[in-house]
Amino acid sequence: MQTRPLGDTGHDSTVMTFGAIALNWLEQEGANQLVEHVLDYGVNHFDVAPEYGDAELKLGPKLRQHREEIFLGCKTQERTYEGAWRKLERSLNRLGVDAIDLYQVHGLEYDEELDAITGDDGALAAFREAKEQGLIDHIGLTSHGDPGLILDALDRVDDLESLMFPLNPVVAGKDDDEYDYEAVLARADEKNVGTLGIKAFAGGSWPPTDELPESDRPFANWYRPVTAPDEVRERFDFAAAQGLTSVVSAGDPKLVTMILEAAADYDGMDEAAQRSLIERVRHDDSPVPEQLHH
Amino acid sequence: MDVPQTVTVALDDRPVAGRRCLEAGAGAGNATAGLLANGAARVYAVTNDRDHARTTRRRVGRDDGDGSDGDDGVDESDGDRLAVLEADLRAVPLPDDSVGVITAHGLCNVLDPASLSAVAEEFSRVASPGAQLVVDDYDPLPDGAAIGGLFAVENAASELARGRPALTFYPAAFLRRFFAGHGWEFERERTLLEPVPWTESHVSAHGDRAVSMAKEHPGEPCDALAATARRLATDIGSESVGRMYGLAFRFPE
Repeated sequence: MQTRPLGDTGHDSTVMTFGAIALNWLEQEGANQLVEHVLDYGVNHFDVAPEYGDAELKLGPKLRQHREEIFLGCKTQERTYEGAWRKLERSLNRLGVDAIDLYQVHGLEYDEELDAITGDDGALAAFREAKEQGLIDHIGLTSHGDPGLILDALDRVDDLESLMFPLNPVVAGKDDDEYDYEAVLARADEKNVGTLGIKAFAGGSWPPTDELPESDRPFANWYRPVTAPDEVRERFDFAAAQGLTSVVSAGDPKLVTMILEAAADYDGMDEAAQRSLIERVRHDDSPVPEQLHH
Repeated sequence: MDVPQTVTVALDDRPVAGRRCLEAGAGAGNATAGLLANGAARVYAVTNDRDHARTTRRRVGRDDGDGSDGDDGVDESDGDRLAVLEADLRAVPLPDDSVGVITAHGLCNVLDPASLSAVAEEFSRVASPGAQLVVDDYDPLPDGAAIGGLFAVENAASELARGRPALTFYPAAFLRRFFAGHGWEFERERTLLEPVPWTESHVSAHGDRAVSMAKEHPGEPCDALAATARRLATDIGSESVGRMYGLAFRFPE
């Protein structure tokens, strides 16, 4: 599988990152098998978080067995110094490892949170201490909120080495600033910060719960994913072709093999085909009826 | 509204800012939105279709003056920069030498050869020296494209009802030479979409149009065409096939 440099970290990540939340939906034996399956494809970057149910615990055994083959990303939603330290120690315990390669501020959404994490008593102070102590190697940030906020974070946090944010043809077809993750990608590239793409496989939102109760959803994803192999492949190709370092696999284990196959076969996507995909999802979404043309 | 990528790419190397523009065949307002987003001084969006005129005004013009700001890349003043004109493109209601940019985005395929010639005459008449012409359209579909069957039915219904085809897909090389013959200097060709995503909404819109034209000409053949159009639209669902290209020309000084 292709690899790309993850910013200045010195690590070359495979073009697919394994979203280890998928392990949460499996028993331990199945989780072990899935990790072996992912490693068989050569994937070398895993991403997990304490919020993903039992994913950290289920990743632990195979992570420890293959520690040298896996660049491990983990994250915390804590915004304070104390909270971040507590969660980091808890993750290290649950994963059963001495160190995490990439520790990320998880799901930054509001300006106040950026103020909080960058303050004297903020999470990043804990991250930096942990880095000095060798418990983490690199610092990252994830957000599916306002791209403007991610750009601010990039300006204000000098030691950020990776960003994780949504990128897919639905988002790419929207002009509003609130969807301008392309600007984030461009600025991250300028600063040589690694970029990890999420929601590459999002097909749309789930219907309201009164129409489709959560317990009746056929996939574990936050969003309704694309599920046909060809669609999964073109979504992967699209995300990888935008220039992200790596595309994070979808959270449902049923989709992982299709994504691995797409990632293993990835060899670029020309621009007319990228536009074709943007145009298709735009029309699927469009409130304007009766369009005969593109 | 979001400007489609096809329009963005078709215009991104064209000097639009500060120019008076003719958007020929307003459709759903896509190219009009692109011209305004690129800083056109004024856009005359000309269409002979009342629904298209209304759609363009509603999506792009902000005629309601609700003061909502541009969360969509189109600012509040667009209403002042846009004139939607209901008129026949074979007789454009603009003076000679009056526009600096002409866009024909997905227009030529709805013009039969006779209409295309008349419209091209008008383009040359209203273009000022140095004007830009942007022609975006579809190459003929490859053999075996399922949607080709639906377009054939749409054309048959149109021929019976109106005596002319509904759709003619001119090859890029044909339009290039055709507009050169009308005095335009060719500047470049781009591929806008390949494959072209004929989505369920496009397919059903073409199916509906075939049915409505078939109904204009009552009788057994048209009933059969309407039924075939409905069946094909359902069977095809969606199909990605063919190529949409973008041509750019310049009118000599």
